[in-house]
Formats: sequence, C-alpha cells, structure tokens
Amino acid sequence: MIFTSVYAGWESVEKAHEKSFFDFEFITWMAWTWQTAAFFIIIAICLTAMVLWEKKIPGGTPRRGILGLDTTRGDRLFISLLSAAYIHLAWLGLVDLTLWIATIISVLFSIIVFRYV
Amino acid sequence: MNKTINQKAWFFVIPVFILVAFNAVVPLMTVVNYAFQETFGNNVFMWEGTRWFKQILRSERFHAALGRQFLFTGIILLIQIPLGIAIALSMPKKGIGVPICLVLMSMPLLIPWNVVGAMWNIFALPEIGFLGHTLNDLGFDYNFTQQIGDAWFTTILMDVWHWTSLVVLLSYAGLQSIQPAYYQAAEIDGASKWAIFRHIELPKMKKVLTIAILLRFMDSFMIYTEPFVLTGGGPGNATAFLSIDLVKMALGQFDLGPAAAMSLIYFFIVLLVCWIFYNLMMRNEEQK
Repeated sequence: MIFTSVYAGWESVEKAHEKSFFDFEFITWMAWTWQTAAFFIIIAICLTAMVLWEKKIPGGTPRRGILGLDTTRGDRLFISLLSAAYIHLAWLGLVDLTLWIATIISVLFSIIVFRYV
Repeated sequence: MNKTINQKAWFFVIPVFILVAFNAVVPLMTVVNYAFQETFGNNVFMWEGTRWFKQILRSERFHAALGRQFLFTGIILLIQIPLGIAIALSMPKKGIGVPICLVLMSMPLLIPWNVVGAMWNIFALPEIGFLGHTLNDLGFDYNFTQQIGDAWFTTILMDVWHWTSLVVLLSYAGLQSIQPAYYQAAEIDGASKWAIFRHIELPKMKKVLTIAILLRFMDSFMIYTEPFVLTGGGPGNATAFLSIDLVKMALGQFDLGPAAAMSLIYFFIVLLVCWIFYNLMMRNEEQK
C-alpha cells in the first residue's frame, strides 16, 4: 500500500541493467575477466587434448628421461605448466620487457620437456 | 582375452569431484581472478594486469616474509628431525614402557593449534609465566613480546614441543618394522652402535623420514595459528611468517589483489616442493 508506493520509485533504479541472454549473475562474486577465463579454458583444452592424444596414439606409459625420473605424458604436462608459472614469475620479477617473451620461452621449454624429460 | 569396457565407475567420482570443485577449484579460480584486478569492495573490479605480481615479487616486505618463512622452516626441520630420530631410538622396544611412551608422545599432537599458542603465550609471559619468570629469575633478560631473539626462541621452542612427536612416532614405526635378523647379523659382525644406525636403521627409516620431512615442511611452511596467538607476528614484523603477512594484507589492509597474487606465488612454492618430495618418495619405492 503506502510502502509499496514508496518503494516503487526505487525499483527502476535497481533494475538499471537489463538481463542479457547469458546471465552470469550467480558468479559475479568470482570476478571473472575474459583473460582469466581464457587462461582456464586453455588449461581445459590442454587436458582434453591430452586425452584425445592418448586415445589416438597411446604411448603415455612411463619413460625415463634426462632428469632420471619416470614420467608419463601427464607428468610432462604438469612439469611444463609448473615451469611455465615459474618462468612467468621470474620474468615479472626480474625483467621489464613484455610478458609474451616469457610465454614463448615457456612454450619452447615445454617442447623440450615433452621430448627429453 | 578381452576386457569389457565399462566406464560407469566414473560416476562414483562425481561426489568427490563436486566437493573438490566447491572447496578448492572454485576458490582457487576466484583467487586467480582477484590477482589481476583491483577492488574497493561492493563487487566492483578493475583490470590491473600483472601489476600486483610485479609489485609483490619486487617488494621488500614479501622478500622479508619469505626469508623468515624459510629460516623458520629450516630451523625447525634441523631440530625436529634429528631430535625425533634420537628419541625414537632411545624409546623402549617392548614391555609396559611402549604404550606409556607412545601416549605421552602423542599428547602434544592432540592439542588444537590455538590452544597451543595460548598455552605458550601464558607459559612464556615474563611476569607470570613459568618459563618467562624462571628465565628472568636466572638472570636472563627474557621478554618475547619485546625482543626479536626471544620471540623467535619461543616460537621455535613451541613448534618443537608441538610437532617433534610426529617425527618420533613415524621414526619409531619405521624402527619397529626392521627384522631382528638384521640386528643379529650386525652383532655377529661386531658392528658398532653407529654402524648399526648408519647402515641398518637409517636406510630402513628412509621412507618414513621422507614423509616426516614432507609433513613437517608443509605444516611449518603454512604455519599460522600458533605464532598468531603467541606473538601476533611481533615484535614489529619479526615473526610475521608468510601466512600471517598474507592475512594482514588481505584482511587487515583489504588489498585483495596483491594478497591474491602473493597467495598464488605461495601456492607455486608449495606445489614445487610437493612435487620434489613426491618424486623422492617414488624413487624410494622403486629401490625396494
């Protein structure tokens, strides 16, 4: 009654934004950005690619590499990702050039890891 | 022979998957998102790129906290591992002494972290605490709330008191699993006590000791409650280990972005150490 009419004015303020087709209201608290979303999607694609690769050309059984460790393909992916993290952190901490160079180094490094470790 | 392919077992993984998603994956993703943004609350975020990582990696404060953390972990490992082995070696092997020793040893492990902190806080107070008062009576100028050295001494003593038992119990279990035949052979050869320790007991304990070092490393590297209750990170920042500094930054200053970047760096250190230890353990397994 009287209260509804008082609040009625505020409803238009509250509904300032229109709901789009894809409504991500329930995860806005996670503060997503397209960059971080892309990062996690790339990780997911990596994992899926590993599964498909193993299906297509099985060969993920452990093998002894230059580190003297028995590594499967999954282990090598883990080593690549972890070293990529460290390469990027070292780059940010020590160098002021663009971070893409660190990304290129990481990719080259992971190729080495997949071949020889 | 052909194995039937049945993938239905995967459905049993779903509950665990959901649980892990909610208590680990979703929070971790949120932290990653925070680490690249600035916020003043109210769910409003601004993109900052890699600024926080640069800031943290080059900040004196982070280097100092990391240094203190490694120093603390190093010191307690250097004390607890040899001390734990020594106590395990001197414990009785059979008889009524065994259960008594085991119960006494496991007692500190059963006390919650915050209670340990509060106990040691009161125990070490210079005016009324037993330890503090006694040390002052003996002529030492002891005050853990004011002097850096004393604060470190008390924190390390507390951790040694709380966790050495874990190393003792693990080493004792390792020692008990050694067959008597090894000792008989050593006796026939006239081996010295040191030789027995060096060539029989230590190699046989290698596996449990790796686990003990890993557990003690991780626990001490993530230590929060005990020093928080005991010294609150003080005096100044002298005992503000990595996790205490992190909470100060995240909740004290509400710098969610830098705190998220710091916790990711923290996470990568922990991940690397875990991976190294995992491989060491696997190598031990192989040699068996």
